[in-house]
This record gives sequence, structure tokens and C-alpha cells, in this order.
Amino acid sequence: MLILLAAIFVLHIIGVIVLLVATIDNAWWMMPNISTDVWGRWIQTNGVWNLTDIPTGSHYPQDYLQAVQASSVLACIFSILGIFVFVAQLFTLQKGQRFTISGIFQLLACLCIMIAASIYTNQFHLDENFGWYGHCFILAWIAFALTFISSIIYFVLRKKTA
Amino acid sequence: MGRAGPMRGVWLGINQGTVCFLLLSCFEALCRVASSIPPLHFLSPPCTRTRSRVGLFLDRLLSGLRHPSFWELPAKPETMLTLLALASVVLLGIVPEQSQAIVIYTGWERHALLGSDIRLSCSFFSWRWTSEDVTFSWTYRPDGSRDSISIFHYTGGAAYVDNKGPFRDRVEFVGNPGRRDGSILIKNLDFNDNGTFTCDAKNPPDIVGRPSSVRLLVFEKVPIQAGVITGAIIGVVLGLLVLIVVIYYLMRFLVARRVFSLSVSKHGKKKKEGSQQRQIKV
Repeated sequence: MLILLAAIFVLHIIGVIVLLVATIDNAWWMMPNISTDVWGRWIQTNGVWNLTDIPTGSHYPQDYLQAVQASSVLACIFSILGIFVFVAQLFTLQKGQRFTISGIFQLLACLCIMIAASIYTNQFHLDENFGWYGHCFILAWIAFALTFISSIIYFVLRKKTA
Repeated sequence: MGRAGPMRGVWLGINQGTVCFLLLSCFEALCRVASSIPPLHFLSPPCTRTRSRVGLFLDRLLSGLRHPSFWELPAKPETMLTLLALASVVLLGIVPEQSQAIVIYTGWERHALLGSDIRLSCSFFSWRWTSEDVTFSWTYRPDGSRDSISIFHYTGGAAYVDNKGPFRDRVEFVGNPGRRDGSILIKNLDFNDNGTFTCDAKNPPDIVGRPSSVRLLVFEKVPIQAGVITGAIIGVVLGLLVLIVVIYYLMRFLVARRVFSLSVSKHGKKKKEGSQQRQIKV
């Protein structure tokens, strides 16, 4: 029982870490010397990396970019709150009850990061062949899977001991 | 508006004097009232079983405050009143003479769409009353240039607008000099109007001041400021979450209270019936 609990906790923590890396690091789209989105653009000139603003224009809609920022930040917040709620529920739940509230928080986090990743996939870099998706983008989709699995486990798990 | 002179000084003195007198009489009345209030019960410590150091310190402080001698003024109220009134009149008389600089307020940056009109506001603060010789003047410095040209001047009750430079027939005076407002309206903006507009106002005899500048940016499409949408989405969602949690706990509390009151009334009814039966028996 304890091992199961530890495994679930570790899964949740890994989800949080993956979400944080995907949100904070600016590497959703990469080009040979450029690593960009969602907060800024890193450009390497003469071996030195400089942080610049993301270019504004019709192929870089500002409002969708801010929506991606907002929902990825919200996913992090919900996941972190979920950790605390899970620990609280461990101590306050009665025997036989399910961890529904923790599951709801993880589900909300899953929903938010899915919204962020979907908007990004659909609206940005549609016609650019000169580049590839960076590690943050991949981590965002992995975080979606992890948080989904985590929320399902919370909805199914029952408290065994009082 | 009147002119500066000896009558103005007398009038200011009387004004300030009456204000001070009113303030001090209020203060004196409050002191008298406070000394007559009996010690408030909720300030006394509820239990004396466990007294931490902080508790002892607070207790001593509160008992000191409650002592009536704390609130009594050391000298007779009338003499103190007159002394304070004189001191404040002297101080307030000195202060305006020293800080006589005029302060001019304009915006910091203005964004506008191509082809639209924009109102550049300019107002000032001065210790003197608005004189009849108040002047406003606006100058324009294009982006990347070091020279500035004058585009508007208001003096002697008449406004003079630009009729030769880049803003000819596009500047209109929409301010109210009597209310210290020297705003201008620039119509039909173009990309060449990007630059810094400086407003300089003078209110004789108050002429020492620093002109204030506002930067104009003309856009084809007004850009979204960084982070506004992000902040709005995050704020709304978290606010909804907090609201849902609060409502949930409120409903639980209300339901619990209703259940509790119902059970108490039922219990009370049973007790009453029991006592009535006992009375009838007797």
C-alpha cells in the first residue's frame, strides 16, 4: 500500500516538473540558431545567446500566444495545488472514500495543458519548413498524458486505511 | 480671479487660521471624550492561566492607555490651543513661499490609430491662483530629430495654432485655461506625427517649472499590451476556483446550522413537553 502511494505521489511530482519545464523554458520551436516561444526568443549570434522579443506580425498572433501562456501557467498552478490537496486528503479522508478533489485538480491541469498545446499546434509555425518542434512542446504533450493518467488513478483509488 | 497683493495675503491668513482652529477644536474634543470613556471590556485579557511574555507586554500597554492621566493635556487647553494655532499659521504661511514651482502634468505615452484624432492633455498645479496672463505652449520634436518646433501657443486669452508647419489646420485648442487645462486636439494622424510633444505652462508670477512631455505612437493596428490577456485569463479562472470553494463551504456551513437549529428546537420542545407533563402530574 505504501509503495503504491509513493508511486502515485512520484507520478504526480514528475507531472509537475514536466509541466514547469514546458512552461518556463523557451523551446517550443527550434531553428538552427534560434530557440523560441512562449515567453521570448533566444537567438545565437557569434556563440552568444541573446534573449529578444517574439516578433509581432500576422504569422505570430499575439492574442493566441498570450492564451497559450495563460493556460500553461494555469496547468502548472492546478497541478501544484493538486499535490497539496492530495496530501491533505490523505489525512482527512475516511476509509473507503475516493480522492475525487485531487483527481479534479489533475484533470483541470490536464485540460489546461491540452488547450495550450493544441492552440500552439494549430496557430503557430504552420507554413514554416525551416525548423522543428523543440523539447518543451514534446514535454507539454507528455505532461498531458501524465496528468491524465494521474487523474484517472485518483478517481479510481480508494483509501484503504483510516 | 483676483490679483496678488496685500489683501490676498490677509485673506489667505484668515483662511488658514480658521481651518487650524477647527482642526484643533476637534482634536481637543476627542481628547476630552477619550478621557471620559470607561475602560473597554474587550481590551482586558480573557484568561489569566497562561501568560506569555507578549501577553504581559500587551497587558501593560493597554492598562497604561486606559489610565485617565494618559489622555489629559499637560497645560490648560486654551493656552495650548492658541499656541498651536499661531505655530501652524506661521508654518503654513512660510511653506507656499518656498515651494512655488509650477508642476505640469501630461500623459507619458499615447497610442493612436492611423487617421484618427488624439487629445493631448496638459494641466498644471500651482500654489498661486490662476492669473489672467496664464500661457500654454506646445512644441513638437519628431522621432530621431533633435530640433523641436512650436505648434501651439495660448496667451492673453487667445489661442494661436500652427499655420505653416507639419500640423497646419490639424491642431485645435480644446482646453479651458480658467480650469488650468491646456489640452490640444490633433486630427487625422499620420506616421510622420510620431514624436514627442512638450507642454509648457506659465502662471505669472509662478513661472519656474519643468515642461512635461508626452510621446505619441501611431499604429496601423493598436497592439495588445504584453500580458494583458494572459493575466486576465489566469485571474478569471483562479477567481472562479476561489468562488466555487467559498460557496461550497458556505453551503455546508448553512446546512449544518439549519440542521443544528432544527435539532435544538426539537430537543427544546421535548423538554417543554416533559416539564408540562410533570406540572400537570403535580
